[in-house]
Amino acid sequence: MLRSTPNPRISTALRLLCLLFLTALGPYRVAAQDAAYRPYYSSDTTRLYQLAVAQRNAVKAHFVLPKTGTSDYRDHYRKVVQETSDDVFNSIRYSALLDPVVEPFVQRVFAQILKANPQLPATARLVLTRNPEPNAHAVGNGTVMLNIGLLPRLENESQLAFILCHELAHVACRHMENGMQQRLLALHSKEMQREFRRIVNAEYNIGSQVKALALGFSLNANYHHRQFETQADSLGYALLARTHYEAPQAYRVLQLLDTIDEPENPAPVALPTYFSCTDFPKKFGVAPAKPASIFTVQKEVTALETSDTLKSHPDCGKRMRYVQALAKGQIADGPQPASPPDFARIRAASRLEIIQSWFDYDCYDHALFEALQLLPQQPHNGYLQAVVQLSLFELRQHLQDHTYFSVVSNLSAHNPATFNALVTTLHDLRYDDFKGLSACFAQATGPEDAADEYALAARYAASALAADAAAPATAALKTQFEQQYAAGRFAKLLFPAPPPKAPGKHR
Amino acid sequence: MKFTPRTALVALLMLAAPAAFAQTNTLNGIQNMRRSALSPIYDGNEVKGYVMFARGDKADRKNDNYLLDLYDQNLAKISTITIQKPAGRYTLLKNTFNGSAFAFYFFNSKDKTLEMETYDTSLKKLGSKAIGELTKGDLRVLDGQQRAVDPTAGGMMLGLNLFPVPGLGFVRNGYTGGMAKGYTLAIYDNKLGMHWRITSDENAKQYESLSITEAADKYLLGIMVRRDGLLSRKTTSYMVALDAKTGKKLLDLPVETSATEQLSLSSFTFDADKREFVAVGEYYKLDDKPFVNKSQGLYVKRFGENGKPVSTKNYGWHNEIAALMPAEAKASLEDNYVNYNHAVVKGANGRMYIVAEQFKIVGDGLGIAASILNGGGGSASVSKGKVANMLVFEIDPQATLTSVKFYPKTVTNAELPPGTGFMGAGLLGQIMKSQGDFDYQFMQKNDDNTQFNVVYVNFDKEKGEKAQTYIGNIAFGDNGKYAVDKIEMPSGPTYSYLYPAKPGYVMIADYFKKKNQLGMKLVKLNI
Repeated sequence: MLRSTPNPRISTALRLLCLLFLTALGPYRVAAQDAAYRPYYSSDTTRLYQLAVAQRNAVKAHFVLPKTGTSDYRDHYRKVVQETSDDVFNSIRYSALLDPVVEPFVQRVFAQILKANPQLPATARLVLTRNPEPNAHAVGNGTVMLNIGLLPRLENESQLAFILCHELAHVACRHMENGMQQRLLALHSKEMQREFRRIVNAEYNIGSQVKALALGFSLNANYHHRQFETQADSLGYALLARTHYEAPQAYRVLQLLDTIDEPENPAPVALPTYFSCTDFPKKFGVAPAKPASIFTVQKEVTALETSDTLKSHPDCGKRMRYVQALAKGQIADGPQPASPPDFARIRAASRLEIIQSWFDYDCYDHALFEALQLLPQQPHNGYLQAVVQLSLFELRQHLQDHTYFSVVSNLSAHNPATFNALVTTLHDLRYDDFKGLSACFAQATGPEDAADEYALAARYAASALAADAAAPATAALKTQFEQQYAAGRFAKLLFPAPPPKAPGKHR
Repeated sequence: MKFTPRTALVALLMLAAPAAFAQTNTLNGIQNMRRSALSPIYDGNEVKGYVMFARGDKADRKNDNYLLDLYDQNLAKISTITIQKPAGRYTLLKNTFNGSAFAFYFFNSKDKTLEMETYDTSLKKLGSKAIGELTKGDLRVLDGQQRAVDPTAGGMMLGLNLFPVPGLGFVRNGYTGGMAKGYTLAIYDNKLGMHWRITSDENAKQYESLSITEAADKYLLGIMVRRDGLLSRKTTSYMVALDAKTGKKLLDLPVETSATEQLSLSSFTFDADKREFVAVGEYYKLDDKPFVNKSQGLYVKRFGENGKPVSTKNYGWHNEIAALMPAEAKASLEDNYVNYNHAVVKGANGRMYIVAEQFKIVGDGLGIAASILNGGGGSASVSKGKVANMLVFEIDPQATLTSVKFYPKTVTNAELPPGTGFMGAGLLGQIMKSQGDFDYQFMQKNDDNTQFNVVYVNFDKEKGEKAQTYIGNIAFGDNGKYAVDKIEMPSGPTYSYLYPAKPGYVMIADYFKKKNQLGMKLVKLNI
């Protein structure tokens, strides 16, 4: 007999045992949910504003207007400083991340580098930004801006330390100040002015001649910029070597940077798993592929792109060889052992911050893509589930408002193929499809029982996608959300005030 | 540019790799912008790119640098072709693509020549040809063509055109004699070598104008309009089919098959499944003049490849059509509105769709008063046009009119040139079309002919609010559903221009005069 009738007594005992087990597990599950990372949000922007103002003032104070030079040169210098300080203000005010987990971690690494290198400027500061692009850069006044997008691409704390050392080396060598001065001096040099006047006076073919002049100017600037990068690698390595971090990791950082434009996860997004179900049996990627373009023109590449010697940054291969020589062969080569728990936690938190960052920047295609790529590894992550529902809701909203073009990317050779595949799907969607996508996704991921703003916002989004905003259940969720999270992250996004109307002109 | 979080991110990433963030493209340094500067490139039914023709800087004492900026269907810049031509005297009449080569058709008003340049898909130049010694008829037509607000208007003066013929090349039309009495047609291969040329009979008694409408199967199809004199209001429409390879005329038949008919011809196509020619147009009272007077209704006629009639079906405005008109549409029919047929398309499902827009002519009180004060002379018009609602007629494969869809929109006024007050409704419709008075903009089709959408402009005004311009969009096709979408035109730009786009989209170009900036964006239709 393949199936036996269970003994009632045993069955009752089993049930009791299960109940006891679940009772014991209950507090643990709640605790686990409480511990789950959620992207940082504060409706109080006072600290951000103060930090942004302080940095704007610091940039202005740092770049002192030269007393020599022509008035044009001095005006231009003043303008560049103004623009730079405004950029710094905006970057910090609208993208600095002051969360209690990732930011203290990177600040601690930064402080340890400064402590081990007391010769570095005392004004050096680190600002962690919510920019999802994997990058970092230094501002002339000693501020290093580190994008959150870089953190998941690194394997350990030592690699982060080298990135910061490299940027601090730029600061120590005054590369930004020197670079700006060199460019402006070259631009306002007698030779350049004479050449510019000659072109304008020539009257004919001004456009192409100015273009050639600008290209020559860029090539010259890049030549100097390359020298700065090599210096920053060299000094950055020396700064790292003075800390307790592993100097051989510098080489590995350059290896990682060499492939930073490739997707971290090359697996395609499992669209049928999440978005096709019995009620909405949608087929993905079955449409006959049409030729993308009637043009067979080779992409125009400038000398800046084709010749390594003319690029602003030397190829990573060259930089790696250079660092290898500096390290006398003591290098960390290839993938490193799994990240230590502390750093792994930071990487995991950063991944969620990146997703939220894409979402907050209205890049719902990217937010959706990143969330769907993480979901197979974290199928019960309530935050990821919420982002998917909210992204679908926002996409449909923009489709309805005819602003879809502003929130869905173009297909591009610069994108990973997996992202292009998702974008192709998004381009083909129709208004009614979003209801089915949302319903299938809810079925595939199961009910969301978290009790936070993300979960409630996602429940509202799913309800609005299933019915409409005026339906009683949706209206009730809206009321609940407004009562609980009036100052929350999604309040203005989900329930914006209607814009004023004005007439337009059409021809 | 409107500040959005996404544009803020683009600003943050300006120095990063040129990522494709949105289906937009913003051009700076545009000092002036007209609608005709930008035109879509079609491959078959679908838009596959755009070309922007612009005057750049001076090339030398006599010439300017003219730029042809090419974009793909996603608004990604492909390349720029620079040509040096007479300063301020060079216009692009037409761009076209035949599946393997691009052709650009220019008018050099300094040398009074027409010039063609062809390029392969990698934008390598294939050929160029200048056509001098234009007839007075050509120049007369060109003049009208350049002054017309809507150069696609058609009608009796069809303009100088370059028509793509896949696999063969391009067909160019011309006019003979000083009064455009006859026509010429010539086909060129991709390198602009001429393969054949036909011309109307010099001894023909009637005036003849031929417009090519379609390259289908082995045929080159066209509509010939014959009339007794240049200003004659009595016209007869003929269906013309040429052998595309040789130019040999295979069919030249009047659409009227008996002396008791008065017909105009709006569309002439070939149904490859049934091997039949299909003619669609309007029928008139026996005493009236086609194209000139108010028509009685629509007709669909089918002919065999031998030219013999197969079937005829009439749909009277006050009979078959009125019976299917929605209640809200009947008032406009009783209000003496007549229809201008903008487009006739046939779906893959065998159904035919006719898109029309209502218009009528009314006396203009002020114009009449001014006319009387001037003793009947002067330039004031005594009549004005009114443009009203959109209509879509659907005819099934059995030639039964199955539905009439009515899309109300705000009535707009049209200024008519002096002397047009006594013309018939049909002719006034042609004039209003060439003046750009209709709100209909264009029709889009996908390659499979399964989905169509009609794009028009509406000036809507809610009570208590300022008038707002909307882009109306009527979508229909194989799924049997009619959907309407309404796009609010932006209020910020100095001017906004509307262009066809890839299926499911329209392209809006916003010009900001103060910033010398042109923002192009692909707007996905909510259908």
